Amino acid sequence: MNLERMPNEEKLSLCRRYYLGGFAFLPFLWLVNVLWFFKEAFLKPAYTEQPQIKSYIKKSAMGLILWVAVLTTWITIFQHFRARWGEVGDYLSFTIPLGTA
Amino acid sequence: MCVSAAAGVCSSSVEKKIYVELNETVPCVRLLNATHQIGCQSSMSGDTGVLHVLESESDLDWILSSGPHPPYIVIMETAFFNRSVMMRMKSSSRVAGVAVIVSKTGLADNFSPHTTCPNQNTGVYSASYGSDLANCNVTVWNPLGNGLSYEDFAFPVFALKDENQTQVIRKCYEDHNLRVNGSTPQYPLCAMQLFSHMHAVTDTVTCMRRTDLQNRFSINPEVLCDPLSDFNVWTSTRPLNSSAKGHAANESVVLAATRLDGRSFFWEQAPAAEGTVSGIVTLLAAIQALSPVTQEAPPPRNIFFTFFQGEAFDYIGSSKMVYDMEKNDFVIDLNNVHSMLEIGQVGLRSGQSLWMHSDPVSRKNDSVNEEVLDLMRRMQSAAAGLNVSLGHPLFTQPLPPSSLQRFLRARPIPGLVLADHQTLFNNRYYESMYDDAENLNVTYPPDLNPDEQLVYETDAAKSLAEVATLVARSLYLQAGGEEKSLSNITADPKIVSHVTNTHTRTLGVAVLLLSLLVTYFISSKAELLFSSACETPTTAY
Repeated sequence: MNLERMPNEEKLSLCRRYYLGGFAFLPFLWLVNVLWFFKEAFLKPAYTEQPQIKSYIKKSAMGLILWVAVLTTWITIFQHFRARWGEVGDYLSFTIPLGTA
Repeated sequence: MCVSAAAGVCSSSVEKKIYVELNETVPCVRLLNATHQIGCQSSMSGDTGVLHVLESESDLDWILSSGPHPPYIVIMETAFFNRSVMMRMKSSSRVAGVAVIVSKTGLADNFSPHTTCPNQNTGVYSASYGSDLANCNVTVWNPLGNGLSYEDFAFPVFALKDENQTQVIRKCYEDHNLRVNGSTPQYPLCAMQLFSHMHAVTDTVTCMRRTDLQNRFSINPEVLCDPLSDFNVWTSTRPLNSSAKGHAANESVVLAATRLDGRSFFWEQAPAAEGTVSGIVTLLAAIQALSPVTQEAPPPRNIFFTFFQGEAFDYIGSSKMVYDMEKNDFVIDLNNVHSMLEIGQVGLRSGQSLWMHSDPVSRKNDSVNEEVLDLMRRMQSAAAGLNVSLGHPLFTQPLPPSSLQRFLRARPIPGLVLADHQTLFNNRYYESMYDDAENLNVTYPPDLNPDEQLVYETDAAKSLAEVATLVARSLYLQAGGEEKSLSNITADPKIVSHVTNTHTRTLGVAVLLLSLLVTYFISSKAELLFSSACETPTTAY
C-alpha cells in the first residue's frame, strides 16, 4: 500500500485501525504503525488529519515502549532464574534444555 | 588444531582423515539422587582441547596456569589420578576433559574413590540411634577413600583401557605438543575430543518431573535418565509360597545375606572382587554345602538366603526388602525373621582371623543381647576344626556398612556381620576398578591355560571355602540343627574356585532395582574421539 496515493481520510482510518488493533496484545501492530506513519505524522507539511495521526503515533509509540520493557524484563528474569525455580520453572517452559540445569 | 565436531560413528572419509576414533574407553557418567548430582558431564557436541600428558608437577602447572593453548585435555597416568589433582582441575577453567590411562604400573598401594564412611546417612546410626556412633565417629571404615566418585565434575572424564591406542596418543603428543628445550609448541597441535553428554541434571526429582513432562507433552519424548533398578535374589532351604504375601504362619527364619553389586568411578568397571565377590562366592558355596544336610536332617527353622542388589547406593536392595516386609508385600515379614547373618568382605583375612561385627545399641536390650551371644557361640562351635579363628571387635564399635543396618532400622533383629577386618577395611581398593582378582591374591601357577585356571584351586579359593564351611555350619546350628550333622557340611573348594574365577572376570556393575524405591538416576551416551594435527591451515583458531 502506497501512502502517497491514499487520500488523507483513508490514511487516518488506517492509522486508527492499527492503533486499535494493537490493544489486542499485538504490539507489532504498534511498531508497524509508528514506523509506517512516522513520516506522515511529523515530517510532512500539515494537513487536516495530521494532528490526529500524530496523536495515534505517539500513543502507539508509548504502548510499544511499555511492551518492550515488560517483555525484556520478563525474558531476562526467566532466562536467569528458570533453573532456580525448579518445578515452577519446568511447568512454565515449553522446551527444557538437556544436560544443563 | 582441527575443531570439527564429530558425532556418533565416524562415517565420512573426511572425518576419518581428521579423527582417530578410540575404542575401549569408559566414561564417568552422571548419577543423581534425591538432592544432588554427581559424576561427569561434557558439552552437547563434545569437549575439545589440546592434548597434554600429565607426568609430573611441572605438567600440572603448564595445564593450570602457564600453557598458552587452553583448554587442555589431560591424559593422566594412573599415579596422578588422585583427589588433589582432580580437585585442582575441577576448579580450573583451562581443563576441557581428562582421560585416565588405566594400568597397574605406577598404581599407588591404595585407591578408593568411594567415601570414607560409606552410606553414612542411610544406615541405622543417626542422631536418634547411637548418635555417638553415627558418621563414623568411632570407626572410619574406609579411611583411604578420596570421595572422587561423589564429586560433580563439569568436564568429561574417560578411562583409556587399550594399551595400543594409548601409545598412539602418546606418539601424537610427543610429535606435536611436546615442549622442546623450553620453547612453546606451536600450532598445528594434537587435540582430543571427549563426548559424553548427559541428559540428567540437578537431582532425581527434577529428572522424573521432566521425564513426565516429556512423556505427556512431547511428540518425540527424550529419555532423560534411567532408574537404577534391578532385582534382589532370594531362596530358602524350605520352600516358601512366593505368591502368599505378608506374615508366613509358623515360619521362623534365619536370614543369610550378602550384597550383589559393586561400583567404581567409571561406568561398569567394577570387578569388586574383595568388596562383593568374596561374599557372593562364600554364600553360594554355603548354600551348596547345606543342600544335602537340609534334605536329610532339616533344621526346625528355615534358612533364607538373599543377595541384595544396589547396596552401594544407599542400600537400594535391602531397604526395598525391608519396605516390602513392612508393607506385607513379601513372602515373609519382619516378625518371621529370627536372626540375621550377613557376609561382608571376607576375602582378605590376615592369618586365620574372621570378625563378627554386631550392633551395640540393639544389644543394650537383654533379650537381643542373649540372641546375639547365642549366635556368636554357635559360630565359635562351628569354627572348631576349621582354619578360622573368630573374633569379636570391641563391644562399643558400630556395625560396618551392611544390609543388616537397614533391618535394624525397622526392628532390633539379632544379627552379625562377618568380615575379615576388625576396624577399617582390609580392602585398599574399595569400590574401585582395581578391586580385582589380583587384589584377592588369586594367583595361578604360570603354566596353566585359561581352562585349567578356571578349575584350579587357588589359595584364595581355599580360604573362601573355609569361610563358606563356617557360614554353612553356623547357619545350620542357628536354624536349630544338631551338632552331630555338622561334619557333613563342607564347602567344596572346587566350586568356590570355579565361581570365584568366573565372577572376578565377569562381574560388572549396574545397580538397579524394582520401581518403588528409585533413588538414583543415570544417563549415558558416550563416545570418545581423537583428532590429530591438521596439515592444512584451514583450521578454526
